[in-house]
Amino acid sequence: MTVRRTITTRRTFLASGAALGAIGLVPGGAGMVRAQEGRVLNLRLEGDNAILDPGYMIGGTEVEAQKQCLPFLAEYVRDGDTFSWQPTPYVTRLEYADDTHLEFELAEGLVWSGGNGTVSASDVAYSYARMKDSEWSGYFDALETVEVTGERTGVLVLNKPFAPFIMVTLCHGPGAIVCEKATEAVGGRFTTEFPAICGPYTYSQTPGQRAVFERNPEWTGPAPGFDRVVAHVITEVQAAELAYEAGEIDCTELGPDSLARYTETLPPNTAITTAGELQYLWMGMNTQHEKLQDIRVRRAIQHAVDVDSILAGAFAGTSPKSYGIVAPGLLGKRNETSYSYDPAYARQLMDEAGVTGLELTLRTLNWQERLLTAQIIQANLAAIGITVNILPMESGPFWEMGMEEAGDTWQDLQLWLMRFATVPDPYEATQWFVSEQVGIWNWERWTDEEYDRLYEEGLSENDPAKREEIYLRMQQIMEDTGAYVWISHDPEVYAHRADIEINAAPSGELDYHRFEPV
Amino acid sequence: MPLSPVADAGARRDRRDRLRRFLSDWQAVVGLALVILFVASAVFAPWIAPYDPNAMDIPARMSGPSWAHLAGTDQLGRDTFSRILHGGRVALLIAAIGVSVSLVVGLILGMIAGFGPRWLDSLLLLVFDGVRSFPSIILALATVALTGPSLTVVLAIVIITSIPGYARVARTATLALRHAEFILAERSLGAGTTRILLHHMMPNVIGPLLILAAMDVPVVVSIEAGLSFLGIGVLPPRSSWGTILNEGYLLIRDAPWMVVAGGIPLILTTLGFTFLGEALRDTFDPRMGRER
Repeated sequence: MTVRRTITTRRTFLASGAALGAIGLVPGGAGMVRAQEGRVLNLRLEGDNAILDPGYMIGGTEVEAQKQCLPFLAEYVRDGDTFSWQPTPYVTRLEYADDTHLEFELAEGLVWSGGNGTVSASDVAYSYARMKDSEWSGYFDALETVEVTGERTGVLVLNKPFAPFIMVTLCHGPGAIVCEKATEAVGGRFTTEFPAICGPYTYSQTPGQRAVFERNPEWTGPAPGFDRVVAHVITEVQAAELAYEAGEIDCTELGPDSLARYTETLPPNTAITTAGELQYLWMGMNTQHEKLQDIRVRRAIQHAVDVDSILAGAFAGTSPKSYGIVAPGLLGKRNETSYSYDPAYARQLMDEAGVTGLELTLRTLNWQERLLTAQIIQANLAAIGITVNILPMESGPFWEMGMEEAGDTWQDLQLWLMRFATVPDPYEATQWFVSEQVGIWNWERWTDEEYDRLYEEGLSENDPAKREEIYLRMQQIMEDTGAYVWISHDPEVYAHRADIEINAAPSGELDYHRFEPV
Repeated sequence: MPLSPVADAGARRDRRDRLRRFLSDWQAVVGLALVILFVASAVFAPWIAPYDPNAMDIPARMSGPSWAHLAGTDQLGRDTFSRILHGGRVALLIAAIGVSVSLVVGLILGMIAGFGPRWLDSLLLLVFDGVRSFPSIILALATVALTGPSLTVVLAIVIITSIPGYARVARTATLALRHAEFILAERSLGAGTTRILLHHMMPNVIGPLLILAAMDVPVVVSIEAGLSFLGIGVLPPRSSWGTILNEGYLLIRDAPWMVVAGGIPLILTTLGFTFLGEALRDTFDPRMGRER
């Protein structure tokens, strides 16, 4: 669990280069060697894992690392095209006693590394109590407390019935359990090293190069499918695709154009797995900005954007069209919008609003698909007399531009392309747009009492039909603000060796220890 | 003062000799041809380009090279050849403005450093070396982080990073001329510093700078392309060779012609200006002439 830095000198660089070159000259050499031989699994890591602490993580591959090294009470399980949950090997029992009491019993023989004792119910209580004060506290709003009833048993007490608690909270990254003793010993928070682990793999990271997961000798649960997992840092998805085709890695995410190509002609010994479509991309509008305060202007923009062209041009036709924030396969998924691509009507709305010569700034992450999307929107809006200036941004400033506490950019925010990932329950996606999220994640800056009320009702409603009705209505309220142009639900698609069965959460995080050779 | 008939004839003969020497150098001819091609294609791009560079034809996205689209189309179905021609306009604009502004400012600062008091020389040298020691890409990244990407930022980066090169050459030439007899003679006749600098120093200093400017154009074009490749240069939908290269790099297995199409003009322009600059230096630098 240590972070190692390697020093590359000119001599070692030349020596490594010569060695690699020599390997490349061997007939049927490195490129043709199957990367998982010797039960080693080679994967791609988008970037270094910066914060492994579940309370303060960024997410993504950090969740992947947590799932290998920290206990969870529940995990996702695929059921055809949908996902449900099952208890993990860390528990022998996880079940509701009633609507607000979820009982658990930890498995015997689970030990923390570094002589930190056994995994206990008090570790669960400690972990979830600290999450309520963390940056991911929203996931634990429904949790009142954790009652410890024995060394390995306890009860998660909810403050109200909350149907998606297991799927949303316990199966996802925030549901990770940390070792109280070891975490307190490092000051209560940690970053690139786990204070103690209990899971199928140990963890080490070489910044900028790779994260390595080795079999944990102290692990008493089911053996993972591979002895060693090496996750190589490859930031560009296109570079990862090349590495996959060269046989250097066994599994990689696919970009839209590669997905289209793979769908047409699969490389040898390759299969494709779609983890989920739990992402929603939209163009947002700041309803409080003086240029966009008139709802007729916002509605004109809704009618002017040709989403079908965006899906064809920027996503190579591989992403499903979005009609709201609830993703395909989930309760409350919409199948139509109340607006459609109609430039003539958009022009009419602009005329009614009496707005001419409107110039707007569209901010977007500087990713290729987003830039292409932005350029199509730019052309669409030019057709109704709106000049759009595209402002590509790095992820750092992008993700805080609408936050009031991060500066004044939110005041100048006009249009932006945004994508959120969600979990398999509609509650998670709707939480970001309640009134109290204005200036945090509700960058469109509208408020609606009915929406807030429905949000609370959706949390405690267990009847699926009623819940569906609630989430459909909430999305209609959002759309009626004129502040949204729904675009797509990007699928998380992986290409992998045909003789490996991969395991991914619906939001795309890979669970390495559940990969199996077949 | 008008030249005597004998001196005038000598000067004309000297010019003819240099022109003959220039035209007999194949590198000079190739360089000149490529530069003319670059400038002409950029200037006349709106008339030569077969399509509007920003016109999208999504059903025809990522089409290979054909008679309809000589360099194929990009992800939005835009004609790559038209975008290359218009990208040349961006390169020419940046090169023309960037190099000329850098040259003028560098010339003035260099002459001030070479002709001014010692302390001013030392101060300006410190500034020149300070700017030169700062990597242009890092400077660009820092600037873009503060201001956001734009063509103006690219120009500013080019100018700021290029000025010290011109200033250093101008300073050295000014120092060499400072105690020349004709300058001392001007001084003794009561000429002011401004007159000496503008009328006597500058004509003698500017020659090497013009050669340096020709050699600098490909550097500037590469800086613009590099910044645009990194996404911190020109903004979409405006095309630049750097953005075409970046898009081509991302699609290298699906649409390899984009990288080729984006790389060729960059290579030819770099070659053209390098050949031309070296030929000009060989022709007009007296020391090089003596070596021949």
